[in-house]
Amino acid sequence: MEVLESGVGEFRMPDPDGFREYVRTHKERRLVNKVINEKEAISRLVEDGDYLAYDQNVAVRGPTSLFREIIRQRKKDLWIAAKFTWTDATLLVAGGCVSKIDVGWMAAGKVINTAVRKGEVKLIEWSNGALAHRHLAGSMGVPFLPLRYLVGTDTFTQSGAKVIEDPYTEQRICLVPALYPDVAIIHVHQCDVYGNARVMGAGVAPMEIAMSSKKLIISTEEIIDIEAIRRQPQRTTIPYYFVDAVVVAPFGCYPGSTPGLYGGDIEHWLEFMAAEMQGKTDEYLEKWVYSVASHEEMLEKRVGQEKLDSLKAAETVKEGYYE
Amino acid sequence: MSEQLTFTDVEANICTIAGLIEEDKLYFVQMAGAPLMAVLLAKYMRTPEVGYVVEEGAVTPSPSFPLPRMMLGASRSHHRAVAWYGMNIADSHAALGFMDYGLLACLQVDKFGNFNSTFIGGTYEQPERRFGGPGGAPEIASQCWRTLLMTKLESRKFVNKLDFMSSPGYLDGTPGARERAGMPANTGPYKIITQEAVFDFDEETHQMRLIAMMPWMTVEQVLSKMEFEPLIADKVERMEPPTDEELTIIRAQIDPGGLTVSRGEWIAIDRETGQRAQ
Repeated sequence: MEVLESGVGEFRMPDPDGFREYVRTHKERRLVNKVINEKEAISRLVEDGDYLAYDQNVAVRGPTSLFREIIRQRKKDLWIAAKFTWTDATLLVAGGCVSKIDVGWMAAGKVINTAVRKGEVKLIEWSNGALAHRHLAGSMGVPFLPLRYLVGTDTFTQSGAKVIEDPYTEQRICLVPALYPDVAIIHVHQCDVYGNARVMGAGVAPMEIAMSSKKLIISTEEIIDIEAIRRQPQRTTIPYYFVDAVVVAPFGCYPGSTPGLYGGDIEHWLEFMAAEMQGKTDEYLEKWVYSVASHEEMLEKRVGQEKLDSLKAAETVKEGYYE
Repeated sequence: MSEQLTFTDVEANICTIAGLIEEDKLYFVQMAGAPLMAVLLAKYMRTPEVGYVVEEGAVTPSPSFPLPRMMLGASRSHHRAVAWYGMNIADSHAALGFMDYGLLACLQVDKFGNFNSTFIGGTYEQPERRFGGPGGAPEIASQCWRTLLMTKLESRKFVNKLDFMSSPGYLDGTPGARERAGMPANTGPYKIITQEAVFDFDEETHQMRLIAMMPWMTVEQVLSKMEFEPLIADKVERMEPPTDEELTIIRAQIDPGGLTVSRGEWIAIDRETGQRAQ
């Protein structure tokens, strides 16, 4: 088939058969307890050079405790998909963990700008929808999917998309390559010890990301019994066999919000933004990441129970989540 | 001395777009920011039943006002939706032709309504200022029937040549350019809204055309804030400045704390004459 146009952006060659082989030889099919702590989960499942995917909606339900552990363990050379994201890409770049970013949307201040200009981080252009579509292709086990946008733009030119003549309609159609991340981290409201996980509220693409990633770490606000899962199977977002590790992390997306449970900590975000503007992200990382051994210790020593209680009290909307 | 009314350019844009919202249409909006606020203002004041889909997958919510200081897709802005999906499903609703209008903001726009939200100055590899990327703009601007685009009227934004074309308008303006590129037929930018002027596009040439301006502006003043010269409608309508009621709702209910709306340039007008105060 003739390719009419190609973007110049780098992408990993989709390998559906490689993915299938990995699943065949590596993924646990039995119902086994997968609960481990964050330190073990990140050291065992995130490797330098991995493609890392995650699901969040700006400041909502991002796996921030796992981001901090990745930074604490000084992981290197990660390639991340920044769609619908916010300061997470900045944090991971400030921590020296990232070398490539597939961009949909991210907060891009001083840290990202400096890293891009110095050539320390390479950006590849997509859009939120195109990246979600690439995860969708991955979740279907196919090498690509067609879509009807990106075309005609410089975004297309800087992406890894292609335009072909559709063999059915004979019109031009854009193709995006499937994304099969090495590892994904997803924060959820509830999960059982086997990994059956519930995301409540509008997600971005939690199911597609979970399905298309070789390794998957779930962090969860709480562990619930499998009997609760079986009573309401329709509420399950991700079934157990996709999941490699379950990390118990109440307030696991602090300073973001887990909807229905707690609001975001605006003072914390402002502290982060001020640190970035003043070139003090090192001090921020020292205080919130390096100087504490774990998420638990950060909550206890840096955030405090009073603040946590106020964030819970601020989240008055329960309807649709827990009611 | 008579009393003054003060507002930011962002607030003016939100009020103007809110006035364009139609209750019998469906809107596709990005996750946060001023375009979403325009729908929320319309919903609060005039069109309580208007349907809208937020990019991350919330379908026609009934937000719980006042929204938190950082709205950002939180539970209050998704409250009492009719459905919660994810991004791919929301996107497919636009691909199917259900979204009448897309609402977006941009950094730069050219005379055919192509726009930039990626970087300003320098080159792609060495940008002077890199921004967060297009977000959902390519899919919204390509797949909604009509796109409403907001930006600020100033010559560094209305440019002859974009630093980067993140998302498509009418491309080179030739008939069928979008369809030839591979986008759905009969779509494209509909209006460009700024704090002091509104533009649409000529049906034949797809060139931007001035159709309305604030009472304190002249055509010459509008042109002085643009790098290129737009077409001028036979009759340039008069835009209405924001009202006290609109501003109160924006500041108290929609963006309390002003993290989005107070960032812009402050404009003061004389309440009696409607002219810009000195």
